[in-house]
Amino acid sequence: MYNKINPQKSTLLGLLTPGVVLFAVCCIVPLGVAFYFSLFNWDGGIHKTFIGLGNYTELLRDTNFWLAFKNNLLFVLYSVIGQVGIAFVMSMLLTSRAVHFKNFHRTVIFFPVVLSSIVVAYLWQIIYNKDYGLLNKTLELLGLQGWIKPWLDDTGIIIQSLAAPKIWQWIGYYMVILLGAIQSIDISVLECAELDGASSWRRACFIVLPMIKNTMVVTIILCISGNMKTFDQIYAMTGGGPGTSSMVVALYAYKMSFVRQRYGYGSACAIGILVLSLLLVALSKLASGRKKNDE
Amino acid sequence: MMSNTYHPMAAKAKSSIASVIANVLCWFVSLTCIAPVIWMVYSSLKTEKEFALDILSLPQAPQWENYVKAFVAGNMGTYAVNSLLDSLLATAASILLAFMIGYSIARFRFRGRNGVYLLFMAGMLIPIYALLLPIFIEFKYLHLVNKMYTLLLPYIAFALPMSIFLIESYVRGVPIELEEAAYLDGCSHVRAMFSIILPVCKPVLATAAILTFLNTWNEFPLALVLISNNKFKTIPIGLTYFRGAYATSYVLLFAALTIASLPVIVLYLCFNGQIMKGMMSGAVKG
Repeated sequence: MYNKINPQKSTLLGLLTPGVVLFAVCCIVPLGVAFYFSLFNWDGGIHKTFIGLGNYTELLRDTNFWLAFKNNLLFVLYSVIGQVGIAFVMSMLLTSRAVHFKNFHRTVIFFPVVLSSIVVAYLWQIIYNKDYGLLNKTLELLGLQGWIKPWLDDTGIIIQSLAAPKIWQWIGYYMVILLGAIQSIDISVLECAELDGASSWRRACFIVLPMIKNTMVVTIILCISGNMKTFDQIYAMTGGGPGTSSMVVALYAYKMSFVRQRYGYGSACAIGILVLSLLLVALSKLASGRKKNDE
Repeated sequence: MMSNTYHPMAAKAKSSIASVIANVLCWFVSLTCIAPVIWMVYSSLKTEKEFALDILSLPQAPQWENYVKAFVAGNMGTYAVNSLLDSLLATAASILLAFMIGYSIARFRFRGRNGVYLLFMAGMLIPIYALLLPIFIEFKYLHLVNKMYTLLLPYIAFALPMSIFLIESYVRGVPIELEEAAYLDGCSHVRAMFSIILPVCKPVLATAAILTFLNTWNEFPLALVLISNNKFKTIPIGLTYFRGAYATSYVLLFAALTIASLPVIVLYLCFNGQIMKGMMSGAVKG
């Protein structure tokens, strides 16, 4: 039957070619382009000099790049704690019998996910504003004036200040993913545990968590890839500042390429970012796989 | 009844306290997620003075001229039209291409089928943000920057993987007998695909289209590097200029942010279920 169903080669080519070619041009070719130009010293002009792996050795020694990478890792850390952590608590609450208006909560909490990251960035810039900010105003109303800080100008807390909007925006995303996983658990398992007198806390930690471990790994990988590509929000909120205190790798590569016009080195940065993000994802997959074998 | 070791009354009291706490917690998180957006929308209708006096108060009388100012003086109108055109065209084109590829992968057996699947799978792993410079160099070399259609190409391309996966898994669930009957009646492959299967796939095509529209409407970095002509700039880029030009005029900025969010809000109000489901299946695949 399959032969009858398969179309002629020309038909098949017609169906596949436009999409595949376009995708290759926009996604695969740039990889080659990046690698090729990363071997040159080039400012975008006519002259470029071949320097072999020179850009890569510079990249390895470039402390600014690695400081930016450290910031990316910090964002990953805060996101895993904030987004996945809060999302897990919320998804447990939203599957418990005690909570009402479940659909409403789910819909509202997910909403910021669809907002543009630039809108979120500027909205939070105003929220953090010294005189007209929602945050300081709220602290004032709660009588917590002492907590008021120059949220976006203090290099000591800048990473946390930038992580908050990220967490705010993406909790709903992780919550919906985890909700899907929790709802697919056989309900009788949880009912048995309840009858045996397991508290909801224990049910969450010892039954639900192990049963949705695979999904947890997925959310952590999403956190990593999401935070490795963080760019828009930082670009709009601080531009990497004050100084370079909130620089991240994507923004660093952007500045090297489009502000400093170092196309060769920018290309090397691009390859570096690619390798680092794939490495992190592979590592977290490996770590989760090993745990499984230990059990 | 089973014998219980704890007192039912005490347990009930304890569980009702717990349920109150659980509900309060949920309301707190919901409120935190939505309050800033509501604040943004109603503050956009206040006068400059009103906002300076009390940032929380509701507008005395809605100041629609904030929107007029943002649209005309702030150029948000041009940016909005560009974003709308880009988003609609990219969505339509990418859904068509994704349907052609997704359907072929799901139904036909051919050499390189796994290769095509893997190509798009790998594409999901590659962070576009790393590719800004090489895409820019490539586009410049091909004389593709700063054209009306510049952004369409990468927008269509980067929308393909997710749409293909959504469509492919949906088509696999459609009984193949539909096409077999059509072939017996002498219907060609392409015709069966478009006139019989396409209508069946409407729900998943709609989901993919909504998600693509949202992503395209919100896209920032590619628009930042590939377009420098003000005529073709999109809303997210426009916002950064607006922010620079009206740095201290918060109500105007709120109006611009609301304009940028309006289509997203409307789509979300209508299709939130589909959006959540679509993003979830896309995430778990990746």
